[in-house]
Amino acid sequence: MTAATLTTGPTTGRASTYRLTFGHVLRSEWIKFRSLRSTWWTIGTTVLVMVLFSLTMAASMNFAANDAEMAAAMGNVSTVQAIVLGYVFAQLSVAVLGALVITGEYATGMIRSTLSAVPRRLPALWAKTIIVGLVTFAVAIVGIGLSYLATMPMLSGNDLVPDLGDGTVQRVILACAAYLTFVAIVAVGVGTIMRHSAGSIFTLVALLFVLPLVASFLTQEWVQDIAKFLPMNLGTAMMVVTEADAGGVEVLSPGSATVAMAVWSVVALAAAAVTLKRRDA
Amino acid sequence: MIEARGLTKRYGPKTAVDGVTFTVQPGTVTGFLGPNGAGKSTTMRMIMGLDRPTAGTVTVNGRPYAEHRSPLTEVGALLDAKAIHTGRTAYNHLRAMAATHGIPTKRVDEVIEMTGLPSVAKKRVGGFSLGMGQRLGIASALLGDPKTLILDEPVNGLDPEGVLWVRNLARYLASEGRTVFLSSHLMSEVALTADHIVVIGKGRILADAPVSEIVDGGAGQTVRVRTPHATQLAELVARDGATVTSDEPSLLQISGVEAPAIGELAAAAGIVLHELTPVTSTLEEAYMSLTADSVEYQTEAAAAHLGHGAGERPAAPPVAPVAPEAPTQNEGAIR
Repeated sequence: MTAATLTTGPTTGRASTYRLTFGHVLRSEWIKFRSLRSTWWTIGTTVLVMVLFSLTMAASMNFAANDAEMAAAMGNVSTVQAIVLGYVFAQLSVAVLGALVITGEYATGMIRSTLSAVPRRLPALWAKTIIVGLVTFAVAIVGIGLSYLATMPMLSGNDLVPDLGDGTVQRVILACAAYLTFVAIVAVGVGTIMRHSAGSIFTLVALLFVLPLVASFLTQEWVQDIAKFLPMNLGTAMMVVTEADAGGVEVLSPGSATVAMAVWSVVALAAAAVTLKRRDA
Repeated sequence: MIEARGLTKRYGPKTAVDGVTFTVQPGTVTGFLGPNGAGKSTTMRMIMGLDRPTAGTVTVNGRPYAEHRSPLTEVGALLDAKAIHTGRTAYNHLRAMAATHGIPTKRVDEVIEMTGLPSVAKKRVGGFSLGMGQRLGIASALLGDPKTLILDEPVNGLDPEGVLWVRNLARYLASEGRTVFLSSHLMSEVALTADHIVVIGKGRILADAPVSEIVDGGAGQTVRVRTPHATQLAELVARDGATVTSDEPSLLQISGVEAPAIGELAAAAGIVLHELTPVTSTLEEAYMSLTADSVEYQTEAAAAHLGHGAGERPAAPPVAPVAPEAPTQNEGAIR
């Protein structure tokens, strides 16, 4: 600092032209999102998990095609399941992606910089949600695409490759991407409410995995009625084509399940907005 | 211009800021001085709309901060050096902050240059020293070319060169007509930088005056006199209305009478003087006497925990020592 500069004003442009707008906040959040390594790690993990799980599923379907006993056990599972079933594990990594976007800021203190620049606060939350949502949707589509390519050689032998031109196959692919997007948005909400990375991820694991698992062991009818509305089961419902796709469990119709997931996202975001607006940063 | 009116913040039963009212004028550097835990940072967070006041209002340039159309051009703040994501590079942090207001990347390069960060701008903030973090925080505050600057403990962790730089920067910004409000728990630092001082202790404003006035209004002038005839002299000056205290048999602290008058009195009475020294209260002493009763973490309390009896303690409450500034990190990398 020997040459400490004492000109503080900008040499080009004028401060009076600087404006806080939603478009600018969106751009800022996009820069923030891209410039963290954790973003790329979670995106990479998501895609990898989807492809690996698809390969496992494709191997089972291949095996079933040549083995009557296995075929009976699996039932008439639709071929498209081979390329979307990775969502079961991918939902955890997109949940981490969504939660970290906000809990990472609380953990480091960055949130105070963010809220100083956007003192009305909610535009920052909406911008984060939009970016996480769009990126998750895109990553899911890429994951499904790579799963298709990876399983094609294995499935083609038994003519099990899903037909991408088929309307039902397209609907299931979109449902898979939409489900993961909803999960990521719920995670942004949970992260905003809880503010701690570990706490948020624990909560999301409980919601996405533990509760459906516990519910599956219980036989009471009212438990099953409630369990239908847990995210994991809604995800299954959104992607069901044949009865065997739901694994013999009673699920909502794909349309109702999509609406229910949207409600989860909206409720989580609304609660997040209220807490973000009211609490001290 | 910052105007706080009856600003109050309570956390449960604890009152952090207790109905403070003050105005920070443009064109001057205003120091916000107080011991640790006095409520400086809480007040600053309330100005920035980060903490919601329990009562009272605070406006910046006529409006609550959040109601400005482009907040970063109104106020630039260094709230604490840790308000930065450690996983991002300094450059990307500034670019993201700038983007919220459509501030061009050129301006980002300018503030990096201005704060002496070019060599580390592309490094992740996690590896930064406290001093580099402070510089990055100041760079961030300057991004929007704001009319008002709020700097919470800006010299913390800076090397002497950095301290001088912050001092000159603050004075320069004020000379441009901007409002500069900087906090510190070090009287000496504020006295060198600020024109005006707001002193806070236990959440209350203890003083709000120009630097010179705070110094003069402090403990006042005393004269130290050493003489073998202490008792005799003490009686003499006491007759003139002076206050006399004594720690040693031949040493007097006299206040209320000027040194020349004491000398003349002694000469007239034939008293030998070995020493006659006027002692001006230092800024530090003025600050101590202002905040003595309002220090949040007194060493006295610590002494009590250690089992010292009340009788062993000096009559005056010991004030928590104001830590001398110690640069904790090596700043060599950012020259």
